Amino acid sequence: MSASITAPARSAGRLVFAAFVLLALLVWPLLVENVFYQRVGALVMLAALSASAWNLVGGYAGQISIGHVLFFGCGAYASLLGFTWFEWPPIMGAPFGIALSLLLAVLVGLPTLRLKGHYFSMATIALAELARIIVVNSPSLGGGVGISGPAIPRSMADLSFISPLPYYYIFGAVLAVLLLFTWWMGRARMGFYLRAIRGQERAARSLGVPAQRYKLYALLVSAGFTSLAGSLYAAMVGFVDPDSGLGILLSVKMVIVSALGGAGTLFGPLVGAAILVPLEEFTNAAFGGDGTGITYVVYGAIIMLISRYAPGGLAEILARLKAWGARHAR
Amino acid sequence: MRADPPLLEARDISVAFGSFRAVDGASLTIGKGEIIGLIGPNGAGKSTFFNCLAGDRQPASGSIRLRGHDVTRASPEDHARLGLARSWQVPAVFDDMSVRDNVVVGAFLRHKRASDAAAVADRVIAFTGLAPIAQSRSGSLGTPARKRLEIARALATEPEILLLDEALAGLTPTEVRAAIELVRRIHAQGITLVIVEHVMEVILSLADRAVVFNQGRVIAEGKPRDVVQDPGVIEAYLGRSLSRKARA
Repeated sequence: MSASITAPARSAGRLVFAAFVLLALLVWPLLVENVFYQRVGALVMLAALSASAWNLVGGYAGQISIGHVLFFGCGAYASLLGFTWFEWPPIMGAPFGIALSLLLAVLVGLPTLRLKGHYFSMATIALAELARIIVVNSPSLGGGVGISGPAIPRSMADLSFISPLPYYYIFGAVLAVLLLFTWWMGRARMGFYLRAIRGQERAARSLGVPAQRYKLYALLVSAGFTSLAGSLYAAMVGFVDPDSGLGILLSVKMVIVSALGGAGTLFGPLVGAAILVPLEEFTNAAFGGDGTGITYVVYGAIIMLISRYAPGGLAEILARLKAWGARHAR
Repeated sequence: MRADPPLLEARDISVAFGSFRAVDGASLTIGKGEIIGLIGPNGAGKSTFFNCLAGDRQPASGSIRLRGHDVTRASPEDHARLGLARSWQVPAVFDDMSVRDNVVVGAFLRHKRASDAAAVADRVIAFTGLAPIAQSRSGSLGTPARKRLEIARALATEPEILLLDEALAGLTPTEVRAAIELVRRIHAQGITLVIVEHVMEVILSLADRAVVFNQGRVIAEGKPRDVVQDPGVIEAYLGRSLSRKARA
């Protein structure tokens, strides 16, 4: 009897909480006048978008890709190459970046998704590094120097704004679409299948789960959204070079943001980004150029702490606290 | 009038690991509605043969037909689609998922819509007696519940033939009796069963036919009570010298 009363109350409570968080996310940047904080907010949304896209493959399907920057770079480079070659607004290159990412996801996914555990991770690192080296050695792609977007905005279509606020809302809107898809997926066959593959792939296959096909589906959706994140990043920054568009640290960041909040959970990447990005930006601001090295130290420390104490990230810690609270409430 | 083809038919199956022949020309024909017990000493090749039947290992030679389809080189998911389900010697449940969600994964094979799959899962959970722990995280379960969950998950695929790999090993006598009762109820639903088991009591009380493996070969086949008295079988289990003493 008590369960039938508490269950709707709990779901109503969750709904109120979700509405409050959504409202806070929408209103917060308007109340903060400091441009630095607004920029940090936009970067949180971008990191959450990239990490949520990675989460489909790395979190839900358990295939730890450390080469996702390959798709991010496709989006970033396609946007700015469209401008460099044809003077298109950068965002017009986004569909081409997505198309190229999907093609690469198929080419990369078909052979590598058969690999298990560390082998898959290593294969993805190798392919992303290969792409970076090819770009460094291709003058037509900007080589090691990189390429730029329009110096002065020509129209709204250039998505070149002085204020970070429009970027915050654009990134947030795309993130909302991705989270809605992830929420739907989690309740549909695809979500169950991906979690089963992550749990025990052999057992999943014996239940009729076409593991290769579903891993590829996850990779395709993930690659598409990661590429879009790259295009939006390029539109905001107006510049991309091999390090900022294809550097391995970007892939590592997607993994850490997701793992910190809780890989394989809906809001884990958003929570991870809300903690890690401000930490990184404030460190950089406090230490200037010297702060860049500290980012690596922080990443390393987070990897060690999560692996040792909470492989499920903050979501796991929260679940443990809830269980502890329930035990002591009795 | 043409007779129905066997449900599952394996002919001259051989599997080698390097120079060691784990299965050496083994054959088995299973008709609809049978309960077959695969027995044999440790290392006899029964689990390897079992994995070939389930599509988890491809034999080096020989052929396997399931419901008339050649599945010798088919994937485990093709076997599942054709109506074959299995359990694992070491239970392989999805630890991060609830008991119910584990079973829903199986039900999705024949039902695309989540609500339909959930309804099938709930029926199977009730049938297998897992309802009280349906919402528990399966990683928190003990061995008996994990083994029962594997059977439930396999049943949710609505199989015609169920392969159980030591599903009763490690259970207490009370749990074994409950599991035997469950297997009987599964069989009563018209599902054919192949059971690999060390517990002879299980084979004697459940199987219509026992197939004995030794050194990768089928050395005896027949009614379980006849097979366990076969001198070749006794020798395989006890060794030549001990079996002579036992007969003396």
